[in-house]
Amino acid sequence: MTEQAPCSDQLRFGDALAELERIVAELESGTMPLEDSLARYERGVELLKALRETLGQAQQRITMLLGELETEDADDTGAE
Amino acid sequence: MPEMRALSVSEALGLARKALEGVRLVVVGEVSEVSDKPSYKAVYFSLADEGAVMPCLMWRDAYSESGVSLRCGSLVEAEGVFTVYAAKGRMQFQVRRLALAGEGVLRMQVAALARRLQAEGLTSSDRKRRLPAFPTRIGLVTSPRGKAVHDVIRTLGRRYPVAELLIAGVLVEGDGAAEAIVKGLRVVTEAGADVVILGRGGGSYEDLMPFNSEAVARAVASCPIPVVTGIGHEPDTTIADMVSDLTASTPTAAAEAATPASADLMRRLEHISTRLARGLAYRVQALEHRVALLSGRPLFCDARRILGAWEQTLDGLSGSLERALPRRLDVASDRLRSADERLVSVGGRLVSAAGASVALLEARLGDLSPLGILRRGYSVCYAEDGETVIRSAGQVSLAEIVRVRLADGALGCRVETKEEEAAR
Repeated sequence: MTEQAPCSDQLRFGDALAELERIVAELESGTMPLEDSLARYERGVELLKALRETLGQAQQRITMLLGELETEDADDTGAE
Repeated sequence: MPEMRALSVSEALGLARKALEGVRLVVVGEVSEVSDKPSYKAVYFSLADEGAVMPCLMWRDAYSESGVSLRCGSLVEAEGVFTVYAAKGRMQFQVRRLALAGEGVLRMQVAALARRLQAEGLTSSDRKRRLPAFPTRIGLVTSPRGKAVHDVIRTLGRRYPVAELLIAGVLVEGDGAAEAIVKGLRVVTEAGADVVILGRGGGSYEDLMPFNSEAVARAVASCPIPVVTGIGHEPDTTIADMVSDLTASTPTAAAEAATPASADLMRRLEHISTRLARGLAYRVQALEHRVALLSGRPLFCDARRILGAWEQTLDGLSGSLERALPRRLDVASDRLRSADERLVSVGGRLVSAAGASVALLEARLGDLSPLGILRRGYSVCYAEDGETVIRSAGQVSLAEIVRVRLADGALGCRVETKEEEAAR
């Protein structure tokens, strides 16, 4: 098992989204100096891009830890 | 022997049927020879024990309602009546209600376990943990066979492919299933899952028994990560459901509950994107507005705004100065007046003494002047031009005209003789 987070930039999806929403709230509060606002904006755009890419390109990754996955019509055991 | 009226076959079977159908029975037996074809209006099977077999039928709607899935070898309890199928002259048992035998006993055991776990507080709503909003790795403990596992894989792949899926394919019914499920929960947790789905498709009460076991219940309750159960169809509620963090009716519903939907997230990102751009634009606009406000302030239009206060202060100081000065001047002029008077009184003496000194100094100055020297008897010899002073005998020739300057006049002279002395 790899310890690497699935987000491309090593950032967990939820953490990145939370940071992005914090940045938006900060920008909207309008209390930051302009230089900081610009820096936060740039970071926001970066996070947004990474998140969109993660969502858009994600391929489901499946690891079988136990047992052998059988094709769907192999057996009715455990069927709904 | 009285003569009996002869009956038709139909009449005879009709009588038999009437006699049999009046008696309602509950029969327990082992299922054999199941014929369950969707095109048939009824399900046909046999119930048997060691010494006898009886053919049974159950109308499909009643069978569906029972929730029982007939399998050869299971022990069932069937309630119904004997009847006669006239066309074949066959007697059969028409089942109205069907249940797995021994289920009552199992239900009692399960209810007792539930009460025990409840008393320990394991089913308390306070213990329910919130699922991670954005799981990184989702564990799935279920049978690797059948529809349920594929339903979950499809649902997760569609909703949130961002998360990695860790599957523990385990036995979910029969002997050893409870132990296998416990192991599955441990394996996915150790592999780093942050939420686990424990599921299986619907089944009979007996089939669901591993999910009613104490071992599974305790493994779910003590699992370090939140557990979502999706076991069977409603209204089956297992003990695993009671102690889990979230209960869903099916494995698919559990997969949906454990994940956000990508489409929703994309919309959310779009919204954030707009807010982000607008947030900065507002920030810049707000600053521009402030600059505009500031530049419009009188301060920048009229310099007196800055200096005015100082000017006023200055005016104030000047006023105090003016008020203060005359007093100071009075004092000073008084002092001046008395000094003046004293000066005048000493002045005369000073002046006459000074006058004597001046005459003396003048006399001494006169001694230093060239005229003074000439008066003392010296003279100066110039060349004929009257400007070049003759300082050496070599400067003139015999018969040359020179001018001699005396204190009170000048003489024109001719050089008659020259006596040169060696230069010193």
